[in-house]
Amino acid sequence: MYKYVLRRVLLAVPVLVLSSLIVFGLMRVMPGDALTALMAESGNVGEKELQKLRKDLGLDLPYYQQYLVWVWQMVSFNPGDSIFTNEPIPVALRKAIPVTLELATLAMILGLVIAIPIGVLSATHQDRLSDYVGRVVAVSGLSMPEFWLGTLVITFAAIWFHWMPPIGYVSFWESPWKNLQQFLVPAAILGFRLSAATMRMTRSTVLEVLREDYVRTAWAKGLAGKIVVYKHALKNALIPVVTIVGGQLGVLLAGTVVVETIFALPGMGRLTVEAILYRDYPVVQTNVMLVAGTLVTLNLLVDMTYAWLDPRIRYQ
Amino acid sequence: MAARVTRREFLERTTLGGVAAAALVAGARPRHASAAAPAYPDWIAASTKPAKRGGTLTRASAWDPPVIDPRLTQSVGTFQFVGLTSNRLVRYGFADEVTSVTDLGLKGDLAESWTVSPDHRVWTFKLRQGVKWHNLPPVNGREFVAADVKYCFEQYAKEGVQSFTFQEIEATETPDNYTVRVHLKTPNVFFPHALAEPVAVMFPREVMEQDGDLKKRLIGTGPYIMKEHTRKVRVVLQRNPDYWDKGRPYVDEYIILSTPDAATRLAAFRTGQADFIWVASPSEVEVLRKTNPNAVVQAFHNSLAPFGVALAQDRPPFNDVRVRRAMCMAIDRQKMVDTVFEGHGIIGWGVPYLYYQDTPPTAKDFGPWWQYKPADAKKLLTEAGHGKGFETTLFYYEYFPQMTSEVQLVQQDLKRNLNIDVKITKLDYTTYYGRYVENKWDGMSWGFQSGHAIGVDERTYQYMHSGSPKNFFRVNDPVIDDLTTKLRRTPDRAEQRMLTKKIVDREYDQVLRMWMPYDNGFLVFQPHMRNAAAPALRRSDGYGSPTLVRTWLDK
Repeated sequence: MYKYVLRRVLLAVPVLVLSSLIVFGLMRVMPGDALTALMAESGNVGEKELQKLRKDLGLDLPYYQQYLVWVWQMVSFNPGDSIFTNEPIPVALRKAIPVTLELATLAMILGLVIAIPIGVLSATHQDRLSDYVGRVVAVSGLSMPEFWLGTLVITFAAIWFHWMPPIGYVSFWESPWKNLQQFLVPAAILGFRLSAATMRMTRSTVLEVLREDYVRTAWAKGLAGKIVVYKHALKNALIPVVTIVGGQLGVLLAGTVVVETIFALPGMGRLTVEAILYRDYPVVQTNVMLVAGTLVTLNLLVDMTYAWLDPRIRYQ
Repeated sequence: MAARVTRREFLERTTLGGVAAAALVAGARPRHASAAAPAYPDWIAASTKPAKRGGTLTRASAWDPPVIDPRLTQSVGTFQFVGLTSNRLVRYGFADEVTSVTDLGLKGDLAESWTVSPDHRVWTFKLRQGVKWHNLPPVNGREFVAADVKYCFEQYAKEGVQSFTFQEIEATETPDNYTVRVHLKTPNVFFPHALAEPVAVMFPREVMEQDGDLKKRLIGTGPYIMKEHTRKVRVVLQRNPDYWDKGRPYVDEYIILSTPDAATRLAAFRTGQADFIWVASPSEVEVLRKTNPNAVVQAFHNSLAPFGVALAQDRPPFNDVRVRRAMCMAIDRQKMVDTVFEGHGIIGWGVPYLYYQDTPPTAKDFGPWWQYKPADAKKLLTEAGHGKGFETTLFYYEYFPQMTSEVQLVQQDLKRNLNIDVKITKLDYTTYYGRYVENKWDGMSWGFQSGHAIGVDERTYQYMHSGSPKNFFRVNDPVIDDLTTKLRRTPDRAEQRMLTKKIVDREYDQVLRMWMPYDNGFLVFQPHMRNAAAPALRRSDGYGSPTLVRTWLDK
């Protein structure tokens, strides 16, 4: 098993290096820099002052030097300060990460809670009403983008029930009830979208597994339906589902950008978008690398889960 | 066995479903609001009831302060609250003081009175006594004195947004603790107006000296103390118990919630999480009043438009006044007001009309080149040697969604009427701003002028004089230079109006800045809000926020 894990870890290194090159390059290709944005807010910054600021921030160095400086900052866990707000990046991240983490975790839980039972139900009741309903729900989830669903929910909840999740983020430790009110709706929206693909995959893999010989044997032994489905079929059916869930984490993180904006949550998504708009290189680069690192790690975990669920994989 | 759906059945059902959905959508389509939109008042008079103390005022805001240092920004995100934590020397009237939305009289803020020398170069301000800084370290409630004013003026001149204004000061004297004497390099009768701009607030020397800037702490002498500023979450202002204007402010706490999404802000107002909101169009007001029928609406009327088409008038073909005039005549501005702004907009002008006439200008007031006359425009362009049209570019940043519609209408009008091909480039804010202020672009830009300033000197001399760094429209006209300089040396109000009129007439005649329509918008208040209407020129949710010191909650 450890060889398998080691191989996977080594494969992650070039992915991270490539990601760092792409994000660094893309930020430099974009017209304007953080100082232009600063000037836009200030209205009036002299050319001399701009040159001094550029030098202070190291923006006058050749690109390869800027890249090496940044990589060193990253590996030494000292990503520096935001050019725009002067706030140390770790401080900004300490505020933003818990928000996105809570949102993504809740969305994932809700997504799986919706997807797996409905997927199984659809498979075990193939071509019946419950199957059609499940499939319609799945297709709806795939078809409705978060920005539309989020706007719709927030608008109609306000019109019909005179209610909306409280705005102005409050942490879970400060007020658990208010925090959950703030997070449940956006998490449900993200989770609903996430559940669509998972639900479809669960349905098709369960259907496939239910036609396997060993399942037929289980039925023939006279086992109860629940035991056949949940004990014998579901575990094997979940292998591709786990893969697809891992792959959807990227989609989930992308979705948080929109949902955080609609529900006014100060997470990683809003932090990154604002940093991109203001060309705040250190913040964008750090955030992207953090997300890339998270995705690589999660995919590694998915691969390991895969190996745990199906021992044949690690022996190959 | 479950019933299976055949391909034929599926097609039949989806077709029927599609027809039904289309009918439903058609039925639900909102009617054009402007046709039946009720008229809302443009002014809400101050309440006659005695003010009540207490309560929390909340607003969902689109803006997040980029920095809180007032020297370094003129962003409305910052000045939506800085005018409440900090004072200026002089100010414009608040909602419960002014007689109407056009009342532009100056009032004392930290200065009780001011006088000027006969040559308009020396201004003497007598400060209010007993004013204290907020009771926070490092100032700990010490008294505000003349030396503080001198220090602020010097710092403003040194760097930041307002250096141009404050570099006009030759020297500042403080004969005693309550007197400030300012010597200007050149005469300027509008100097107090510059100090009344929402951005010219006083800040304590101690914070600057300890921190090196004002990015971390916002301390002032104002009616509110900043209790919390969490980026992208909220700004919380708490009543200053030691405020010099005893008994004020009335509201205990003002919370500004960072809410970037427009639908969320509307929902916040609907559900009572926000006490007031600004909306752009009549149809939005109508929809809002369906859920909140008791909401109080003020129809805001802009006295200027901050956006217009800026032409590279220092090079061909736009250095030819005939080309500028032809283009101006080929654009149907009234159509934009009627369609893009649902009839609730202005056709666009840059100098507030209040400084030269009593009523908003109509298209007629702009002179011959601003009338929509495509045939005449074509003839004039042919005379200028461009009968077959030409190709040009236009770059812009979408400050608000309607702007894209305006840009496209300009493109269509110029193509249809003059065969001018305009290639449009939509940019993000940073790219747009960098390119625009760099002043090296060709063709056209959807230009802007700062939104914060309301003084006539700022809107004329500072934005149109060829020597001003704020002259982004590249106006380079000796007549304008002469008139704007003369205006700032003219103390007589009647003469000022006459000169301002001459400036705008010259601007329109030469088409130096091609103003475009702009929305008016509406301020919508919960029924319990009192004395929060937007006074002259400034919305109380933005640069006009200092007026909220007089607001109280009737509940």
